[in-house]
Parts: sequence; C-alpha cells; structure tokens
Amino acid sequence: MEVVSPASLSQALALHTECESRFCAGGTALQLDWAKGLAKPARLINLARISELKAVTESAEAILIGPLATLSELLRDPAISGHVPLLHDALSKVAGPSIRNRATLGGNIAGMTGCLLPALIALDARLEWLTLDGPTEMDIAQWLAMHPKDGILTRILLPLQGQNERWLFRKIGLRAAFTPSVINAAARLSTSAEGDILDARLTVGGGIVPPTRLRQAEALLNGSNLKAINWRALHDCLMETISAPTDAFRSADYRKRIAANAIVHGLGGDLPGRKTFPVQSALASMPAQEGEIRLARENATAVWHQRPDIDAKISGNLLYLTDSRRSDMLVGRILRAGVPHARILSIDTSAAEALPGVAAVVTHRDINGLNAFGIVVQDQPALCFDTVRYAGDAVAAVAAIDSETAERALALIKVDYQPLPIVTDPEEALRPDAPSIHAGGNLQRELHFARGDIAAGFAGAAHIVETTYVTPRQMHGFMETEGGHAYVDDEGTLHMLAGGQHGGRDRMQLSRILGMAEDKIRVVTSPTGGAFGGKDELTVQPALALLALKSRKPVRLHLSRAESVLAGQKRNPMSIRMKTAIDSEGRLVAQKVEVLAEAGAYASLGPGVLETALEHAAGPYVIDNVRTHGRLAYTNNGVCGAFRGFGANQMTYAVECQMDKLAAACGLTAAEIRRRNLRKPGMAGYLGQLVAPTERADEMLAAAVNSELWTRPLGLAADEEWIIGTGMALNYQGNGLGSVVPDPSGGRLSLSRPGMIEGGFGLDELGQGLMTLVKATVAAELGCARDDVAAVIGDTARAPESGSTTASRGTYVVWASTRLAAPDFAGQMRSAAGRVLGREPNMLALAPGGFIERGTNSGDILLTYKQLADQLDEEDLPSVTVTYEFPKNDYTASNARLIFAFGAALARVAISRVTGEVRVLDLHQHTAAGPVMDLAAYLGQIEGGAVQGLGFTLTEDSPMREGLYLSANLDTYMLPGIQDAPKHMQSFALESLAEGDIYGPRGVGELGIGAVTPAIANAVFAAIGHMPTVTPFPTETILAALEEGQ
Amino acid sequence: MTIGFTLNGEARAITCPPETPLVTLLRDNMAMTATKEACSIGRCGACLVLIDGKTANACLTMAFQLEGATVITTEGLDADPLAATIRKALAAENAFQCGYCAPGFVMALVALLKENPSPSEDDIRKGLEGNICRCTGYHSIIRGALSAARMVQETLK
Repeated sequence: MEVVSPASLSQALALHTECESRFCAGGTALQLDWAKGLAKPARLINLARISELKAVTESAEAILIGPLATLSELLRDPAISGHVPLLHDALSKVAGPSIRNRATLGGNIAGMTGCLLPALIALDARLEWLTLDGPTEMDIAQWLAMHPKDGILTRILLPLQGQNERWLFRKIGLRAAFTPSVINAAARLSTSAEGDILDARLTVGGGIVPPTRLRQAEALLNGSNLKAINWRALHDCLMETISAPTDAFRSADYRKRIAANAIVHGLGGDLPGRKTFPVQSALASMPAQEGEIRLARENATAVWHQRPDIDAKISGNLLYLTDSRRSDMLVGRILRAGVPHARILSIDTSAAEALPGVAAVVTHRDINGLNAFGIVVQDQPALCFDTVRYAGDAVAAVAAIDSETAERALALIKVDYQPLPIVTDPEEALRPDAPSIHAGGNLQRELHFARGDIAAGFAGAAHIVETTYVTPRQMHGFMETEGGHAYVDDEGTLHMLAGGQHGGRDRMQLSRILGMAEDKIRVVTSPTGGAFGGKDELTVQPALALLALKSRKPVRLHLSRAESVLAGQKRNPMSIRMKTAIDSEGRLVAQKVEVLAEAGAYASLGPGVLETALEHAAGPYVIDNVRTHGRLAYTNNGVCGAFRGFGANQMTYAVECQMDKLAAACGLTAAEIRRRNLRKPGMAGYLGQLVAPTERADEMLAAAVNSELWTRPLGLAADEEWIIGTGMALNYQGNGLGSVVPDPSGGRLSLSRPGMIEGGFGLDELGQGLMTLVKATVAAELGCARDDVAAVIGDTARAPESGSTTASRGTYVVWASTRLAAPDFAGQMRSAAGRVLGREPNMLALAPGGFIERGTNSGDILLTYKQLADQLDEEDLPSVTVTYEFPKNDYTASNARLIFAFGAALARVAISRVTGEVRVLDLHQHTAAGPVMDLAAYLGQIEGGAVQGLGFTLTEDSPMREGLYLSANLDTYMLPGIQDAPKHMQSFALESLAEGDIYGPRGVGELGIGAVTPAIANAVFAAIGHMPTVTPFPTETILAALEEGQ
Repeated sequence: MTIGFTLNGEARAITCPPETPLVTLLRDNMAMTATKEACSIGRCGACLVLIDGKTANACLTMAFQLEGATVITTEGLDADPLAATIRKALAAENAFQCGYCAPGFVMALVALLKENPSPSEDDIRKGLEGNICRCTGYHSIIRGALSAARMVQETLK
C-alpha cells in the first residue's frame, strides 16, 4: 500500500482519480476495518497535511468546522458547548479519550456509520463537498442518501441551537461507555415561549443502524404544545417508522423500542409500561458479628504493604515472558484450522520452508512423543494430524526472522481439508444421529448423584420452583494474551518460558508430547499477565517447543488478541435446570438438578468444572432429598476449560436465585428462608464427605442482613427512568482440587548465597500477589521481616513442585509449607548462627534483619542473614523442602472438597426503563476465609473477582455461529470498562477459624466471583419482580418484563 | 518509507512500510516493550503513548502519521515529575495486579492530570474509559488516581 500526503485539496483529488484509493483523516477506523478482513487500498491518501481542513470558525448563525478537527478539540471548544450543546454532549459519549484525540468529525461523517450522524442530522448540519466537478453544498441527510463515493468533505456548517429548545442525545451501547452503538437517538424541539413546538427534529443512527430522520414522528409533534403531546402516539409512530437491523447482539425490535423510549423519555414524556414496582420489605436484623473488618488501606495502614513487583509493573520495566527480545530471536506463528470440523487430507509445507527467512516449519510429523494433551484426558492434538475439530485448532507452526515473514510463510502452507458435518449445540451433539467429534462419541462425561427420596420430597412440598439458568461462554480476557519464548541451551535442555499456571504439569505434558525426559525441560511461568484459569491448560507451549527444538534458536511467540479469541479457552457454557421444593415452614425438602455443559472440541478441565458445579448444587444449605445429573458434551465450538469459579459460580447463581424465588413463593424474606436452611457446624458436606470444621454461613448471612445497603433509597428514581433494588446471595466455595485428584503440594525454605531467606514455591505470579503472600507468610512464621524474604517462584529449575496455581489453593500451600518447614529451617538457621557466633543456638531467635538473643527486646542484631550466608559453604546453607498432599477427605465416590470458604454479596442495582440495562450502584462483599495474610492482595482478589462476575452477569458472552466466534476482539467482546464497575464497592473479612481447624487461611481467588451474579439477579427480582435466568442478562427480556402489565 | 520523529526526546529516522503501527515499531523494531499490546485495534488502551502531548493508541497510529511528531512512551515518562507522582500514588495503593495494563493507565492519567490537576472521581472515570483492566475491578486504580491527584494538589500549594 502506498501512502501519499498531499498539501492541497486539488492535489488530493487528483491523486484519488489515478487509482483505487482511500482517504485517511485520523485513521482510527482503519485497523478495525483491516482486522475484519477489508482489503487495504492500493493508495492511502493522508489528508492530515491540508491545513485548510482543520479550522473551526464561528459566525452569527453557524459554526463552521473543518473536517479534520478532532473530536477532542471539538469537545473542548467553548463555541460548541455554548452554541451547539447537543453536539458537545454527543462528542462526550463517542469513543474513548485517546481515540477522540485522533478521530475527526469528517471521518465520523465520511465513514457513513459514525455515532455522531444522528446528532448532526438533528442539528441540520450542511456539508461542503469538493469533487472534480467543483464544490457543492448540501444537507447532511441528502448527502448520506447519495452514498457519495468520490470527493472530499471540506467543511461542516452547524446552525446554532436556539434558546427555546428541548434536546437530547442518547447513545445506547453494549456496555456503559466506550462501546459499539446499539442505537443512538437525537432530538430537538424548537418551541415558542408558550411551549408550542415550532420545529421538531428526531433522528436515529449509529453503528449498523442507518442514520435517519424520522419525519412522520416530527410531523406528529410540529404544531402541538409541549404540555399536550400525545406520547403514546409518538411512541407508536417511532416504533413503526424507525428502521433498524438485527445482528448477533441485539434484535431490530429491541433497537427500535429503546430508541423510541429514549426519545419519548428524553423529551419529558411518559414511557410505556408500568411505573409501580414491588416494595422491598426491610430485613429483620440479626445479632451483630464480632470481628469482621472492612478491607481498606485507611483502616489498615500498619498492615498495608506495597507488593514487591508493583514499581516495575507501573514503570513498564517488568519484562513479561512475551517481552523478551534478542537480535537472534525468531518469531513464531501458528497456523489455525479456520474451519470447525474437517478431515486433513494433506499438509504441504514445502513452499513455506523455501521462503527466505524461514528457519523452521513444524507439523505433526515433528512430534516424537504423544501427539495429545489435556489435564484430565489427552484428547487434544498438539498439532492436528488427521482431523481438526474447531476453527482454532493448531495445524502447523513456523519460526522466521520476523513476524511478516512468519505470516507470509503461514499463508504458503497448503492444507487440504475435507469438510465434516459440524455440531455446535450441546443438546444436539448428544443426539444419537449427531456427527461424532471424537471416537467415543460426544458425551465427554456423565455424572450422577442421589440421596434420599426426591419423589417423596416433592410430593410433600408446599412450594416448588423449577427454573433453567443459562450461563455464558465467558472469555478470560487476560490482558497479556498467551505466549512466551523458548530456547535450547548448549546441554540440550529446552527452556520454555511461557505464561502458565503450573510449571511442573506443563513440563510433564511437554515431556509427553516431545518424547523428552522431564529433566531436559525447564518451564518458567512467571510473571504471567493474568490467567484466571485460561492458562491452566497448555496454550502455545507445544508449537513453541517444537519450533525452538527444530530451529535451535530462541523463538518468541505471542498470540494476537484475535488469535487468542479464536484458539483460547473460554468458560464452559452451562444450562442448569433446577427444581427445588420447600415445605410449609420454608424448609428445603427436595432438589433435582440437571446440568448440560459444553466442552467445545476438547475436554481440558471441563469434566472437573462439571463435577465442581454439581458438588455445589445445594450451596450452603441442607437438603435431604437430592438428585443431580450432569453431562458434558463435545461440540465444534471453541475449547472451554478452567475459569475462576470453576462451575461453582454458575451453580451458585442457580441456587441463590432459587432461594429468592422460593422466598417470594412462601412469603418469607430472603434472609429468613436462608436462615431456616443453613448448614450447621459439624455437618457433612453436600456429598456426605468430611469437611473442615469452620462453618461461617450463619455469620455471612448475619453480615448481609445487617448491611447498611438495605437502608439506601430503593424504587423508582426521581428521573423516572431507573428502578433501584437490592439483592443478596450467599457463597460457598471449595478450595483445592478435591478428594480423587492427585494434589501434591510442597515448598522450600532456604538461605540463599546473597543472604535472603527464600520461600521457594512452584506456583505462579499471575497478578494475584503470590510474591506478597510468600513474603508475608514466611516473615510471619519465622519472625523475620518481609524484606528479609525473597520469593522464588514459577520456575521448575529453581522452585520445588507445589502443584497448580488454581482452585484457590496457592494461599494454603504457601502457608502450610511454611509452617511445616519452619521449625526445621529455623533450627538449622539457629545452629548455623550459633556456630558462627559461638553461642547456644537455643538462645538465638530470628528477627527482622537477623538473629537476636532470645527473650531480649533490645533489638540488637547479633548477626544478619547476609553475614551468616557469607560465613557458610554452599552445602551448609540451611534449606528445608517439604512435600505433602493438599488436605483432602477420604471420599472416593466422586471428587469432593474438604475446605470451603464462605461469603455473602449484596448488590444495589438500577434498571433502566428506557433500555432494560442494569447498572450496579453498590456492591458489598462479606467473606470468611480464615486469616488475611496480606490485606491488599486479599482485597484485590475480592474486588477483581467481583467485576469479573459483573461482566459474566451483564455484558460478557462469546456468541458463535457455525463454529465461528462472532466477537473476534475487544471491540464487541464486552469486558467491563471502568464505567461498568460499581459506583461503590466495599469488602469485608471475618478471619476467625473454628477451634481445632488446622487448615489455616483459605484462598480467596474464587470467592470474589461466586455470589455476585445471584446478588445482582436477586436485586433485579426485588426491584421489578422479574428474575433474570440467562447471563449475561438479555436487556431485551428485562425491558419486556418492565413493559408487562402496562 | 523513512519517517522522522522525536521519540522520548531523541530524533529518530525509521524506515518501514508506511502503515506499520507504532506499537510494532516500538515493541518489535526497537525492543521497547514497556508499551504493551493487548488488542491491536484501539479497544484496551494498553499501548497508550503521548503524541504531541495527547494520548494516542500506538496500535492505531501508523508510521506515516508520525512524521514530525513528538512521541513519549512509557520509557520516556521516567523523566516526567508528574508521572513520578502518579506512579508513586498508584504503587502505594497496590493499584494493579498482573500489571499488563498499568503503563497504559499511567499514560492516560498523566494526560488527564496535566489537563486537570484536580479531577473528581467522575473525571477520572471519564478519563480512563478507554483503558481495560481485567484483574482489579478498577477501584484500586481509582483510589490510586485520587491519591495521585491529592499529591499533585499538595505540590501546587
């Protein structure tokens, strides 16, 4: 592509006529267009040097805007905010700050889909337009109708808004801000002093909605008085005349409805639908809980520590594993199938191999070991050989001198596919006539559990609630996508440095694939830029290893976001049918649960997710008669696997919503029905298994009931748009991998040559604060300072096996390993120090900075740790390694947890009568997970989990069609942005453990996400009487519920 | 195409295809990896830089658009006292977890506080609409930004 930068309009026009070309103003839309597959033009004509296109001037009647004026310049322009406030308001709602710095008004218009078009039409904007035939001027609506191809926009003329105007601009998107438009509406009513409407402008547009002036609706308004508008007729007319398409995200009807609502409500009219909503009853308070702390820096200055890696992360100095750069380093790329199901007839790599600059091309033929991986079952090929089962399947990989060469080489690899029938719905996948994705059929796993007599339970019930809850294919959305680098050293050891969650297991799986001994492979997994379960399974490691081994050069490989979306794991979508019964006293008497989960093309940890979901089927409640049945189905949709919550949060959503529905059915409060059914200390777990003695469900319920959130305003807000409600949910989350899964744990305490006390753990720093935890735990146990401790983590060559950094197990592993190793290690330290100092070891103690005399508080350091290390030979440096199995019970009928953490979430939400959108105003989380080892890290897990849960609840899903993702990137996959985060969040911890509980601090990695979804759903239920049973909540369904009973 | 621009105070001339994104020039051609890449289409803010004093997504900025421009990357903020204050406040608050989004957030806050040294929480939220963080739930970042604003106020007194 050629880029030219003419200095004048005439030059630009001339250049345009010579060949197929495209004008470029700010250029902010080009990467998106190209990413969507739009071809680059032969010539790009950069208009930025034409200075006459930038000026903004003012006359008595109009503002004259050069099309190259950026949106942020216009947003700051006092002439715009003063005289065209509708445009000012629109500008503030379009794009994000950095995009507005480069995007231009001209670009927004000329792209024909810009979010500002309805505003400009409503403002009667006129455009000056230059073609080879000379300049023309026309109304913007007329210009849009022309679909002009050739010519340059030279000026935008905006008449000033009048004094007596009622106006609105509303952008409705897929999330609160920085979002694609679902539909935008703009309106202006010019009125006389008496309120007679002289001139109305009503418009819609934005994104895929054609920018349109709504003349019929305008005619209804013209001539009538503001006080006498027939809003119902206006709404009906808007519904009839707005034209909007359906896409994968929102229907045409919904778009029309919300635009009509926005116009009617924005102009001061009455919305259709009801205005009366249920009145929430106050909860009776419960006895206050002692000892709960609010997690906040200001409450805890003394125990608030800065995490050790924070400065390096903030300054950009921290090298992630995808940041490694060396002059001899090759760039790797992976060839993805691109088709969801096909037989591979042949793979021809000869042209790619012949391309200059290509160092290695690898396929299944380069695999010496088992061409299969998977944490539970090995059903996923490292590189496909006979079949591809989803569009992101890896088929081949190349390493080349740079990324352009690598990409060109990928395009030269010829793979012949014979398409196979696809199955993309889990229910259909389980039909006998469905095409088989794996040799054993599509039923990957089926699980049953039953206790008591559910038939008798249901027969004696006073109320039965049966609901199907549907949960999404949520994307992990870690900011650092999958990747890393690898090299082979002179001894032939493969060094694999790639984001992951269990180096030891990655090494085992690589060893199996490569046919190499584990001791010839080193795996480094830290620092990783976020994981949330999505880097638990192998990602790029097999292809990266093969490329490094074949090329014998360092190779880096970092997935683009688009490739990460295509190939990476997501949360297993689930459909949970739950039938729950209570007796006349509100006690749970029977429950039947049917779960259908989707695995995608390969199992990964899906079987574990399903099993965990079923293990949490009763939440923290007691039900004597239960039956659960779960199935996990293969499909040709992407791959699914571990994701924070691991099935428990999906099931908690169902359980906790059932409780509120049952409460409504029998007339009890949400608190009272829970109180009558809570687990009690000493009870067995849901499956009948032994559980740890600490039970805190009672305390969490009390904390929720006593929350100040219930006293905040509820019901219809003064603006008559937002309806406010508060809801709660309890949380009960298992820790650890469970009873039937090997769960080896361990760690090491040692004195390093430079004199640091090292806590060595084969766990990974994913962002959660592992290094903080190690420093805090080791210092607390030994009595030294945090600064005396170094965390040695995430490297199979330097840290011992500790198990996976998943399942909220890391905190326990660090704590338990340290406690196990500390007596021996401290003894070795004191002995060594005693020898150096010539003192009795038992008279010495470890203290901040070094050894002190036991029993004194003089603070005198007799010997620093560094001084001790300096005096010792390498082999005499104290070191203690411990290994043990993560605590578990002896339940073997299925996987069962021993340790649980408890929580309660309260959400105060606002629901829009205009759009059906839900916003979270307040989110409070109460937690009981044992001692808080580091306040900041604990708080971070609770808050971060909450907003991930909020995304799961309100905005995040990965819709698919024919095995292909419809959201290819973060432009339409809606991770919560800062404006989606709750306005106010508070987090609390209750630290006590029951007497005799030996399990110490519980992990809180998953606790923060667990109860958020049902708390929000229950708040919606409380506010409008409609329980959302599909996540993310379909705004269309909520809006329909609001309009019922009108 | 050869493009001349100023990068962190140094004059540079770079030869590359004209549409090469700035983020690629930085991370791959110059091994300056403090600028992060997480979506490549301007939707996450991880790659924010300052171009002529204003935030820009390095993934959307093409090489030809840099001609004559002044570019400050995360590396270039080391010399900026306002950035130092912001970094200190964010660090004290443990504002980030995995940290991959952090350089982009700092860049957005530098631009915000340069223009408005006493932002409200609402101003901060608006100023950070273009940045995605997946770990923290944003509140630690808001607390850090408010603390930074207070520290800036102190220095102005």
